[in-house]
Amino acid sequence: MSKQIAIYGKGGIGKSSTASNVAAACADDGHRVTIIGCDPKSDSSITLLNGRRIPTIMDLMRQGVDITEDDIVFNGYKGVKCVEIGGPEPGIGCAGRGIIVAINLLRKISKALEEADLVIYDVPGDIVCGGFVAPVKKGLVSEAYVLTSGEYMPLYAANNICKGLSRLDVTFSGVICNSRGAPNEENIVNMFAKEVGSELLAYIPKDVLVQNCEREGYSVIEKAPDSGIADVYRKLAKAIMADKEAKVPRTLDDARLRELTRI
Amino acid sequence: MPVIQKEQLILHPRPSSIVAALYTLRDLETDVTILHGPPGCSFKHARLLEEDGMRVVTSSLDESGFVFGGMDTLVEVLEKVIERFNPKRIGIVGTCASMIIGEELHEAVTRVQPDVPVIEVEVHAGYRDNTKGVIIALESALSAGIIDEAEFQRQKSLLKEATMVEKRHGAASKDYLEPSRGDLKYKVAERIIQLLKEGKSGINIMNAKKETAYMFVDINAAVVQAAEKLGVGSNIVNMANLDENLGLPKTRRDARNINEDLKGMGIEIHHIIGGLDEYPVAGNNVNNLIAEKYPDFDFAVITGVPHALPMDNIKDMELFSVTNGPRQVAPLKDMGHNHVVVEIDLHPRTLGVNHIVESETGATIREMVKHV
Repeated sequence: MSKQIAIYGKGGIGKSSTASNVAAACADDGHRVTIIGCDPKSDSSITLLNGRRIPTIMDLMRQGVDITEDDIVFNGYKGVKCVEIGGPEPGIGCAGRGIIVAINLLRKISKALEEADLVIYDVPGDIVCGGFVAPVKKGLVSEAYVLTSGEYMPLYAANNICKGLSRLDVTFSGVICNSRGAPNEENIVNMFAKEVGSELLAYIPKDVLVQNCEREGYSVIEKAPDSGIADVYRKLAKAIMADKEAKVPRTLDDARLRELTRI
Repeated sequence: MPVIQKEQLILHPRPSSIVAALYTLRDLETDVTILHGPPGCSFKHARLLEEDGMRVVTSSLDESGFVFGGMDTLVEVLEKVIERFNPKRIGIVGTCASMIIGEELHEAVTRVQPDVPVIEVEVHAGYRDNTKGVIIALESALSAGIIDEAEFQRQKSLLKEATMVEKRHGAASKDYLEPSRGDLKYKVAERIIQLLKEGKSGINIMNAKKETAYMFVDINAAVVQAAEKLGVGSNIVNMANLDENLGLPKTRRDARNINEDLKGMGIEIHHIIGGLDEYPVAGNNVNNLIAEKYPDFDFAVITGVPHALPMDNIKDMELFSVTNGPRQVAPLKDMGHNHVVVEIDLHPRTLGVNHIVESETGATIREMVKHV
């Protein structure tokens, strides 16, 4: 059965690295994967394309060109279909509306969403406005994941995302901990996951190899397939592809969040 | 990568897709439509549509709604609508504000679970062609099983042609169109009567858009009555897009009502050229009929959407056209129509009616022929 997932989390927490490595690992397992970068930075798929930046849907719309599937859907590592939505120039227009318009266009001109075993939406920041939650609201997402570290601010954002998902009555399939080296981090995130009614799906240790591979334009799955961190991503990919229980998340109050970060 | 040819910027205001969607919902016999947006959005047309039997209410999205979203309010309005009006069919129409902030109209339907069909129209007014609003409404009606695929495809092709008509010779034909009141009605009426008195033969065509026919047909009726009064009734051939078997339910009903009125007045339509929603294409039938049967006629009176008629076979006739668009005068003159009359405020007067409505042009012709 095909899965459409969204990975949310605080800006800079490592969503794109995680998304691209999961995409690569699933492609290695023979799954047909599509990754949709919803961030105006348009870097979700860069490590699946040997560091190449692809034209974004928003760039092409701005140029007023007649957009076809070949202009926006690019084959990356092992056939992963890569799409970048992009966004308006900083400080002008509305990036949220851009996501709505781009997804509508993509659905119209491409089968990349339909003909995949796994569609990954890499969504920027936390849920900031209606547009950024468009994939969920338009019924394109069947599972939502949150990526966080054990620090207060990323957890705060993760909690906010749970609030958004709960409001939209969207089920939540798990928390992923991307370690930033905070003390007792795995425990903290594990507790957080339990308290929002979910589970810690994976603990990704901080590893400089991820950044090194990214600098060269690759995922660790492609560039360092025998590394320990590649194994972590592979396990995460398998966990994502597996059937699991999903529930509408609960949320914590701020005092409890602060308390958690001190355990 | 081919660059889409940039369409010219049009400066004059034109009808919006939101309003087009509202009229379509009325044609689909929707009892109540909720506009999810600010209270003033499409206010004038919303009021007019109420005259036509469809209630229009608003979720009154305000500054707070823009920032925090308006879904709870939309849900509340939907519940109130069901409780208060007990509708058999409901429409929910988006607006610029609600669509930009990413409101999902379907969410309200999921939360309320009404036991009557709801047509959701996610539309804003930023589409270049306002027919987009009609298409989105029809797509939603198709999904809800209210219309079938064949009718949807028929409507879609008519709308495509309607857009082309506007681009060729209508409101989207120039970057700015100056509004005009057109030629003086009594002068035009005088000229028509003069031609009738001279025994000239004329084609009397109504090619009107939907309910506007209730008034446009009055002008054609007046031409027939004037000809009969002058004893030259047989010099006039009548054509009208009054097919009772085509279009959405209201469109067919309007055609039936008008045909019955015409029958009561003793006026025969010699050629039915299409349905009341076929104004973008019915002109082709007129073109063929004239080529085949009436190539030597002297003049033509064309009411409704005269700019949708090809000029091929009428260019040598003296042309009288009657429109309800002040911005349609210049394009019609450019096409070669000799006399262009504007029936101001025609549309509002054809809402909520089921009989022919007297027009100023028709009344002028009737009054002037009395004194001949």
